Amino acid sequence: MSRLDRWFEGMSRESARRVSRRNWLSRFGGVLVGGVALPLLPVARAAEKHTVGEDGVKGREGDPTRCEYWRHCAIDGFLCSCCGGSHTACPPGTEMSPVTWIGTCRNPADGKDYIISYNDCCGKTFCGRCMCNRNEGERPLYHWYRSNDINWCGGAKSQTYSCSTAVVVKTAKEAQPEK
Amino acid sequence: MRLAITVAALLLTTMTARADSYEEHDYSLNCSGCHRMDGSGSSVVPSFHKMPELNGKPGVREYWIQVPGAAQAPLSDARLAALMNWLVQRFTGKRPKPAYTAQEVGQLRMNPLRDPIAKRNELQQAPPR
Repeated sequence: MSRLDRWFEGMSRESARRVSRRNWLSRFGGVLVGGVALPLLPVARAAEKHTVGEDGVKGREGDPTRCEYWRHCAIDGFLCSCCGGSHTACPPGTEMSPVTWIGTCRNPADGKDYIISYNDCCGKTFCGRCMCNRNEGERPLYHWYRSNDINWCGGAKSQTYSCSTAVVVKTAKEAQPEK
Repeated sequence: MRLAITVAALLLTTMTARADSYEEHDYSLNCSGCHRMDGSGSSVVPSFHKMPELNGKPGVREYWIQVPGAAQAPLSDARLAALMNWLVQRFTGKRPKPAYTAQEVGQLRMNPLRDPIAKRNELQQAPPR
């Protein structure tokens, strides 16, 4: 232990003799600023591809406020991400409908299909922002439990539609339609 | 550190639940939207937890295939038979005897119910077999 102490003492005395305090400050400042700026470089952003989403699904999260976001492949409505909520949570003052329609979407990051639950948020007047209408794999009204043209707020306390979420349920065994 | 990584990996695998069989996949895609993942239903959809009350009564086996949600599901007869065997087992604790076959399911689907709710009330009042 004392050897370690002596070594450190020697090192600090040596550096104190050779290096000025201002020099140390400027170096330390450089490290601080550099560390903050590093994630802004394109190298750091390329590494994002391998992040894990908030519900454990691997792959680039993408932008949940855009219709092109992979989970929105069969959505029809206003994105809750643009309305004070997120793609998995309702905006304050609204309630998530317990009944919903369910489909599959392919995640381009891992090439897998996922079961997506498009729960509507209900209880406030329609949000009106980020209207999306992609409908991939969606069915006509006579297959009502796979149709997005229904007001799925039917099971909630209030039947007033506000916006739609896109929750990943789990990985799918196959993409729609079934074989 | 190693413990933290193990715990994180464990959490990750449990959070990304996997569909193990077609039965579970078909349940998620074709039933769970309205009946919900736990089968409890809602104010507008019947609960699967009430299936034991009907189980064993005459006509119920056929009724469970003829209800619109089952009969009209976009599934082949074989997949629907497998799904219903799994579903009855899950919510009543007993596998249907004999198990549903693709042929039986196919025939029952061709005779849809005119009034599913009236039929359920009628079945409910019947004494157990």
